[in-house]
Amino acid sequence: MRVAFVGKGGAGKSAISGTFARLLARRGHPVLAIDSDPLPGMAYSLGLPHDDAPLPDEAIEDRPDDEEGPRYRLRAGLSPVEAVERYAATAPDGVRFLQFGKVRTDPRALFRSQFAFRQIIRELPVDRWDLVGDLPGGTRQPFTGWGGYADTFLIVVEPMAKSLLSARRLARLASSGDRPVRVVAVANKVTEAVDAEHISRRTGLEVVAAVPLDPVFAAAERAGKAPLDAAPDSAGVQAVSSLVDRLEKEHPRMKVTP
Amino acid sequence: MKIAVVGKGGSGKTTTSAVLARTLARQGHSVVALDCDSNPNLGISLGVGDDETERLVSMRQSLDEGDEAHAPGWDEVLDRFGSEAPDGVRLAVVSRIDNPEPGCL
Repeated sequence: MRVAFVGKGGAGKSAISGTFARLLARRGHPVLAIDSDPLPGMAYSLGLPHDDAPLPDEAIEDRPDDEEGPRYRLRAGLSPVEAVERYAATAPDGVRFLQFGKVRTDPRALFRSQFAFRQIIRELPVDRWDLVGDLPGGTRQPFTGWGGYADTFLIVVEPMAKSLLSARRLARLASSGDRPVRVVAVANKVTEAVDAEHISRRTGLEVVAAVPLDPVFAAAERAGKAPLDAAPDSAGVQAVSSLVDRLEKEHPRMKVTP
Repeated sequence: MKIAVVGKGGSGKTTTSAVLARTLARQGHSVVALDCDSNPNLGISLGVGDDETERLVSMRQSLDEGDEAHAPGWDEVLDRFGSEAPDGVRLAVVSRIDNPEPGCL
């Protein structure tokens, strides 16, 4: 499966996507987690101790002047699959992790790594890893190429006015793209039994999971720890686990090519 | 005064901006609230509602699609692309919801 989590800033994309990626890996899937956010948050929810995982310079070369294409690319002879196998960070449960890069004062410092990141995602064969992506918050990026790898977009929605409006915009933008994608909602920080129904009615989307507002889950995030490690039995983790079950049924386990 | 509110997604920028704008207006200041977020929700926090917020967004979108003329000056921008919010705050949306980040790959 290739899923991407989108939604308003702060909706819970990183916490849910990181947890989702690890739970999917525990069920035997080869998982590549992808954080496309220049303000990255997925590393923490995966349980990595740092949120910097750029591709090293040795993996990248300049494009010769006489060739068309992006300014930097994977070095000759290094395939996207090999680049992931060799250079992607390894998170708990065997999840591999690639990151667009944490943008600091000088964004140029990461250009090489970012070009390679884009190339890998664009060219990775579909049958090697299940992809679980965390996209930047808001409406601007997901459907302008950044989420191009996904066949399913999961819009994380809180039962709040601004989150609902953002989800409606995202649903609209997703369906106006040039390729068919599945767009569904994940209700997050749910407190009332009617919240999921409310979200479905207001966004017009199928709600495939309802993650409760869970103080234990929130405390893990506050401490910068993976919910799956700090709060493994929490209601929040259980809800994400049900989501994995549901999507796994729809996308049967892929065969791992050795 | 000119104030810009920034921060991580979900940290409360929009809510803070709206409360600041309306509080300043109540104290007698003439206030313009500019929504520069590519996912503009300021109208909701100011209290103009979903429909009016979306109307401002689509006004802004139609500008680039050629259906709406550019405004020649600041007053015209606020007049044409703005909306009256409670406490006399003037709200305008100045960003598109679907523009890729400039310079991004």
